[in-house]
Order: sequence, then structure tokens, then C-alpha cells
Amino acid sequence: MKIVVLVKQVPDSGEERTLRADDKTVDRDAATKRMNELDEHAIEEALKLAEANGGEVTLLTMGPGDATDTIRKALSMGPDKAVHVSDDALHGSCAIATSKVLAAALGKLEWDLVLCGAESTDGGVQALPHMLAERLGVGAVTGARKVTVEGATVTVERQTDEGYEVLQTEGPAIVSVWDTINEPRYPSFKLIMAAKKKPVESFALADLGVSADEVGLANATSQVLEFAPKPPRQAGVKITDEGEGGAKLVEYLASEKFV
Amino acid sequence: MRFALSSEQEQFGATVDALLTEADTPRAARAWAAGDHGPGLALWRRLADVGVTGLTAPEAYDGLGAGLVEVTVAFEQLGRHAVPGPLVESLVVVPTLLAGAQAAGSGAADSGLAGRWLAGIAAGKTLASLVLPPHVPYALDADLADPVLVVDGDSLRSGHVGRPLTSVDPARRLFVVTAAQPLATNVGAARGLDAGALACAAQLVGAGRSLLDTTVAYARQRRQFGRPIGAFQAVKHQLADVLVGLEMARPLVYGAAVALASDSATAARDISAAKVAAGDAAYRAARVALQVHGAIGYTAEHDLSLWLTKVRALVSAWGTSRWHRTRVREALCAAG
Repeated sequence: MKIVVLVKQVPDSGEERTLRADDKTVDRDAATKRMNELDEHAIEEALKLAEANGGEVTLLTMGPGDATDTIRKALSMGPDKAVHVSDDALHGSCAIATSKVLAAALGKLEWDLVLCGAESTDGGVQALPHMLAERLGVGAVTGARKVTVEGATVTVERQTDEGYEVLQTEGPAIVSVWDTINEPRYPSFKLIMAAKKKPVESFALADLGVSADEVGLANATSQVLEFAPKPPRQAGVKITDEGEGGAKLVEYLASEKFV
Repeated sequence: MRFALSSEQEQFGATVDALLTEADTPRAARAWAAGDHGPGLALWRRLADVGVTGLTAPEAYDGLGAGLVEVTVAFEQLGRHAVPGPLVESLVVVPTLLAGAQAAGSGAADSGLAGRWLAGIAAGKTLASLVLPPHVPYALDADLADPVLVVDGDSLRSGHVGRPLTSVDPARRLFVVTAAQPLATNVGAARGLDAGALACAAQLVGAGRSLLDTTVAYARQRRQFGRPIGAFQAVKHQLADVLVGLEMARPLVYGAAVALASDSATAARDISAAKVAAGDAAYRAARVALQVHGAIGYTAEHDLSLWLTKVRALVSAWGTSRWHRTRVREALCAAG
């Protein structure tokens, strides 16, 4: 079976992230860049499925030129090859434009299953799998904590707040995963060295037949108009217990309508 | 010429670091010292999965045939996380000696020594230990290791495991070993010792770095006289001195790895210089760590003790500072 995994290079979510002053897009240069954490779980699941059923894993990413760094790191986990969609015109693209470009790229690849992280830590939109499924006319199941493939049938345990739902779809399909699905492997020295030599195919917008006026910041369906740094944390209220500390605590909680 | 590590080497180091950070190595080290080897051996197998145990073994024996720079990258992390076990012996020195004997066509290949042990070492299932008198007088974890070897001059013999001894580092379990049957000749004992000293130096740099990181974190957190103790110059300067020492030692260690890998004429001298610098820097890191931590640092319950004792032991392992300094002096005088 052929599996495509969508990966995205994001600013490290463990650090302070910011927007650019000029066009109010994510400031990627100010941040340490890394692979979106959930994508590692998607790659792990793809590798497991490919190991169990035979097949091939291809990475697909859309991002600036330096996303090659993330591609190499992702390849060192074990996928066979990668496709990198990169074009200056893509800067600032919204989720809808992104889905158009990725759908066009997926149209050029052979696949039975597309796996991706349930969200990216920078955008957090979570809607991309559905957008892609709509454009490609296939099924989408999001938020998986378990994926099994038997023949063309894809069975997914979908994580919910209360528990999980079992959903089935016929492939080809798109499945997004949460981090509960597996424990991503550490890349071995052998695979790290092998990743250098794996093929990475590059696509520009023209190769995908997408016009520059359908993407980019100027054509985005959502734009940041204004932003402000988050206010510093207020100093808390300190209650010293001199016998009636408990009562004062309750008073405070009641005044804030917590009780 | 590019001296910095390649992005692949950096990534490999980061991978080993991430794996060991998650693996709770202090617990494995404590269990190891107490005679429970389960967690440590499990750790060893996880290291095998990412290729650490197979770095020096040739590809014919399921190894990776990687270079000494990669070995140095790995050992810096092994030291940083105080991983227990006969790491230098199994992963570096025994494969080096067997490769030496094979190159000399002196018996290791014929008797199948490499075939017997290297694949097991690469797979993380075989632990090897040895003595290499006078620099390595006692064998680490000889009761667990198979093979246990004796380097006698330039030949290799099997070893008979005798009584245990205590090390300053409880996780280093030492044994007296006496020589038995001859196994191979012309093993290149000098190169084996150099490779061992190099790996040990890398461990020292990593251990020193860990001590510094722990101590800096503590100095920021521990408050006295109304401020964090790290705000006092007397503490700051000591920590800065530790950092400078480690930063100066690290390039020497990597430089020595390149020298030994390329069979440079100065390799022995470079390794000795690196071992001394790494030992001094790590020892300073240990002393400052203890002083800045104060009383809590002395307690066996605090993990600091794992690194303090390991550094003390490694400083004089694989050749004492005095011996290495002498070798540097002799090399410089001969060159002059």
C-alpha cells in the first residue's frame, strides 16, 4: 500500500512565538524550526502500516526552502521519499489555499492512504483533512487514536472527549492522528545517514497547475488585522491564614463566581 | 576544511540525548550499582536500536562501520546521562583490537573472534570487558561480560574473572582478571588504549556538561539572602570557569577523534591532551557543582552523586592524567 504523510515545519511550540511586524504572518525566522510534533506520530503510524502490509511511505510538505531541514529529519525516521512544494507566492496562504495546493500535489502522487497530524501547533486549524477530502472526493476521518487497514477498508478509533468512536471508510482515505496513537521511533544512525540519499522531489506552483492569484497572503480568506503581545500575568491574591484563611478563600472564590 | 559536526552527526547526538533523557538513566545507574542490571541492559538494547552499540563494528558483523567522530558524539551523550556498563570496552576498545588483529592477519579472523562477538555487541546483547595493564588494571562488569579479555603486551588473551573490587563510583563494578588462553597477537594495543582514552574523554565532557547544567539550574532556583544564589558573583564566576573549561576541552576531544581516525602522526599526543583537558574540566565541574549545591549535593539521594563519583573515576581511567601529560611532553620534546 502507498501512504502519503503530510508534514509541516513549524516554529517550536516550546518557545515564545510571535508574528512579523510587517505582514502579520508567523515570524518563522525568529523561531527555532522543527517538525510539527503530531506529524511524527503520523509518520510512525505510516511506517507501522507499511511494515505490516508492505508498501511505501512518501512525505509531502508545503513550505519555504529551509523546510528541507524538516524533510531530512522526517526521512530519517524511515519514509522512502519526499515531495516538497515550495514557491514564494505561497507565503501567507490560508488553510483553504493550502488545501488547494496539497490536493493538487496529491493528485500527482499515487496513494491509498493519506496520514497527517490532527493539527499543526502553529495554525491549530484542524480542518485541513476535511478540506482535502472534499477536494479529492475521498473519505476523511480525523483525530484517530488507532488505525487498522484490511484490504481497502480503513477502520479508525476516533478519540473524543468522552471516549472513542469506531469509524470505517473505504480507501483511498485521509486520516489525521493524535499523539495517543503511538510512540514515534528515534531515528537510528543508519537511517539518519540514509536520509541524505533519499529522493526529494520539488514542485513549484506552476508544476501543480495552481495559479499564484489563488494563494498567498493577498488572497487569504482570513487575515490578521491587528495583534498585541499577551498581557503579563496579574499578580495573584495572597491570603494569609490567621485562623479564618478558609473563609477568605471561599469569599474570593465566590466573588469570582467559581463557587 | 570543515571542522564543525555535520547536521547528520548533530542529529544523531540529539537523538541519543532525547532517548536517554526519556529513559530515566539515573534510575538505571542506581539499579546497576545495586546489582539489578535489568533497567541498564534494557537501556543498552534501546541504544542498539538507534545504532550506538554498532558504531565501530564493521558492516560485515551487523555494525555500521562509522567513524570515531560519531563514536565521540555518542560517548559525549553517554557521559552526559551517566549510562552504566562497560561502554568504552564493548563499543570501542574490543572492536578496535579485533580490527587491529584482523588487519595484521594474526589470528582474530581465523579463530572467528570477530564473528563470535561483534554482531552481539552491535545488537546490544553482548557486553565485553577487558583489562589493559597498567592503564586499565581492573575489568568493568566482568561478571556480566562475555568476553572478558586481557591485553597482554600486544596480544589478546581470554581472562579469568576473580574477586570484585569497589570503585569510588558505585555504578562501576570492578573485577580482578587474570590472563588465560592466548587468542590473538598483534592486536594493536596502543591504538586500543588511544580509542578507549578518546571515548572516556568524550564521556567526561558530557558528564561535565550535565553537572554544569544541573548546577546552573539549581543556582537559579535556590534563594538565599533574598535572591537566587546564581545572582552572586562568587557563584557566577565559578560556573563561568566551568563552562570555559568544558568549551576548551570539547574541540580538543573532537580534534583528537579526527586525528586518530586519520592516523595522524600526532594522534597519540592529541588524545592525551584531550583526555587531560576533559578530565580537568569535568573535575572542576564536579567540584563547583558540589560547592554550589551545598549540603544537598552530598546526599546519596540526590542524583548529583551519580555524576560526581563517575567523573572522579573516569579522570584516572584509561590512563592517569600524569601519564597522559607525560606523553604530551615527550611528544612535544621529540617534535622540537
